[in-house]
Amino acid sequence: MGNPLRTAQDRRLPRIPEPCALVIFGVTGDLSRKKLIPAVYDLANRGLLPPGFVVLGFARRDWGDGDFESLAYEAAKKGARTPWREDVWQRLASQFQFVPGSFDDDAAFDHLASTLDDLRERNGIAGNAAFYFSIPPAAFPLVLNQLNRTGMADNAKSGGWRRVVVEKPFGNDLQTAMALNQLVDEVFTPQDVFRIDHYLGKETVQNILALRFANNLFEPVWNSKYVDSVQITMAEDVGIGTRAAFYDASGAARDVLQNHLLQLLALVGMEEPTSFDPNEVRAEKLKVLKAISIPKDIAEGSVRGQYLPGWVAGERAVGYLEEKNIPADSTTETYVAVRLGIQNRRWAEVPFFVRVGKRMPRRVTEIAILFKKAPHLPFNPADIEMLGNNQLVIRVQPDEGVVLKFGSKVPGTTMEVRDIAMDFQYGEAFTESSPEAYERLVLDVLVGDRTLFPDAAEVEQSWRVIDPLEAAWAGTKPEPYRSGEWGPRASDEMLAREGRAWRRA
Amino acid sequence: MIGLWDTTGNEVVKALAAERRSAGGVASGLALTLVAVVEEKHVREAEAAATIAASAHPCRLLIVVRSDLDGRSRLDAEIVVGGRLGPAEAVVMRMYGRLALHAESVVMPLLAPDVPVVTWWHSEPPDVIANDFLGVVADRRITDCKLSPDPVGALKQRANDYAPGDTDLTWTRITLWRTLVAGAFDTTEERVTGATIVAPMTDPTAALMKGWLQSRLGIEPVWEHTDRSPRMHSVELKCANGDCVRVTRDEGTALFSRTGQEDRYMPLPKRAVGDELAEELRRLDADQIYSEALGAMAGIAHLDQRPPMRVHVWKDPALAARAGEAAGAFAGPGGSAA
Repeated sequence: MGNPLRTAQDRRLPRIPEPCALVIFGVTGDLSRKKLIPAVYDLANRGLLPPGFVVLGFARRDWGDGDFESLAYEAAKKGARTPWREDVWQRLASQFQFVPGSFDDDAAFDHLASTLDDLRERNGIAGNAAFYFSIPPAAFPLVLNQLNRTGMADNAKSGGWRRVVVEKPFGNDLQTAMALNQLVDEVFTPQDVFRIDHYLGKETVQNILALRFANNLFEPVWNSKYVDSVQITMAEDVGIGTRAAFYDASGAARDVLQNHLLQLLALVGMEEPTSFDPNEVRAEKLKVLKAISIPKDIAEGSVRGQYLPGWVAGERAVGYLEEKNIPADSTTETYVAVRLGIQNRRWAEVPFFVRVGKRMPRRVTEIAILFKKAPHLPFNPADIEMLGNNQLVIRVQPDEGVVLKFGSKVPGTTMEVRDIAMDFQYGEAFTESSPEAYERLVLDVLVGDRTLFPDAAEVEQSWRVIDPLEAAWAGTKPEPYRSGEWGPRASDEMLAREGRAWRRA
Repeated sequence: MIGLWDTTGNEVVKALAAERRSAGGVASGLALTLVAVVEEKHVREAEAAATIAASAHPCRLLIVVRSDLDGRSRLDAEIVVGGRLGPAEAVVMRMYGRLALHAESVVMPLLAPDVPVVTWWHSEPPDVIANDFLGVVADRRITDCKLSPDPVGALKQRANDYAPGDTDLTWTRITLWRTLVAGAFDTTEERVTGATIVAPMTDPTAALMKGWLQSRLGIEPVWEHTDRSPRMHSVELKCANGDCVRVTRDEGTALFSRTGQEDRYMPLPKRAVGDELAEELRRLDADQIYSEALGAMAGIAHLDQRPPMRVHVWKDPALAARAGEAAGAFAGPGGSAA
């Protein structure tokens, strides 16, 4: 019959998960400290966690309970976005438990299972638990087998729901991704698997759907009749940081193109879903991913780059090959630009230029829709020299917002037209209270809303786009570019060959 | 910042345009106009609250201070764009004399075109909103019965005077309570058979809580009066199977107890007025659940079927004032505006 105190009209009441436990594997790791624990604190502070909520931290090191608590305290205090309230933390921390053990330690997992059983009654969590894998992918099979052995992943046996959250990388290519998906889906049921692509937790990314499908203004021109090309950019000003081993083995394409950028492309290119039901949205995204075409001549239609020493934002930056733990002859790319297409009626012949890079002049992620020029311009050609393509730019980060660029008359006695930008900013100022991506996603996992999580089919389809590119790149050397530049010259030339140019993001 | 003394409405409009131009790069997205009707002694408080609310909702903020109705008609204004009042563009207007009765003549040209208008009284709510043109022109009206000498009586008057689009911050103040109580019934199918609210007799939030439970559950909750706590102390619900769920306030936390389970503490902070206002601005359509709770509390049915538009009814408070009641509070010509 449902809860009589809740109705759809009562939109003040937030969604609150059922009483449950969050089990974090690798709780002492980077991700857990920087994102997860602060997100849990923020959720608690906003009053979005149910009574009886428990966090079980599992990690290899020999931590005492006190050590773990102080680690969690530091992490939460440093990363929290909501104001710090000691009493909220104290109550939350009293529901933190640390379970030490290595992943091949049967006794530790038995202990974890019995702890969860205890909590069922004592905290009234009714067997509900989410397992968060904040661990290297190599450890996945071990942990999954342990969960399988102890029956912790079994919905029926536990009497509640058991969910699993996995972070990227979702494999290293199609084959490993499929093996991983198979393994996870075998232990858990497929609808209980949540793959986190934190880009989808961002407010602006969700706003792409609102912009496209809540308005009548944009959809009629959202096709090859009006759109000249689409540019999707994700630039970072930082280098590879401390991720040398992982990064050198994967490179920019596997690291972010496969997941974040193809997801952005799918959201921009997809047809209207019949409803916002998770399955419907995923079905439309999958259709776009399946329709992606890669350049016929990959050498011609893609550029890989690797950063050289240089200056970024007033500081000297070392080159990729000089980074710690990177082999001096590495051919891993830190920049990639590729010309993709979408093979359907809406997007036929419209190129999607996608680029990602490290050590770019600034950090920016944006999607630019470049429209075709007006079919006829009744102006003196000299007057419209400064008139470019109309553009609609969705800025994902930073300064979330939307820019519309169009031609306007220069004030004065002559008819001179030039581009101006109309800028809508959510701006930092207006999104202070909007939740951080991880906060939103952790809550969605606990509530069981799968809309913002890509499913196995999407992940595998994305690898089908990346794998042929990687195969063609094998044995080639990336083009060098200076740190603090917008990528290698070859990338500009790639667009120049067809009379286009990158938008300065 | 521009300060204008003894000025006219037209000058204010021009100054706002000039200030927007010179500030440059002003947030071009504007979701609404917020009109705050404030008494002089509450101006700082209202400004602080509106600043918090404006940082969550891009808006044009118009603060109207009416005082000294018997004096000479006069308008002072202060225009701030992206300054001390947060990211919003704000105009603080002080109106004296007969002009104060026609505040709309200054406010109307300042409303941002074609976006919703929200009027918020940070003062004793007007008896009849139709008497205040600033309420008639608004799509959403927010009152605060706590500022009335008789809060529960004022809330009943809100029900008498209700039109869809009205809300009271009393309602906002129990959102966290309602969240806790509602959450307790997500995992059970048990029918609720009775409820007890422990609160002081003058607590309007308890009155609304009672109305809400009554309208949602079809039960007649008991209001147990207490002097122990200045605000609502606890809400207890009994289920058909004898189980019991109780939420008790304890400073900034709530003690959540349920038969057969360990007691839990949940956050139940007292929020700043600005946060409450921000919650109100999140929805600009009529709040049906509120109208049902308010109706149940006051014993008036079908509040939500009233017409949402009010017609202005002219009433001259100066006549009543001259008839013997206390005159409007005197306030000096806003010296701090410099």
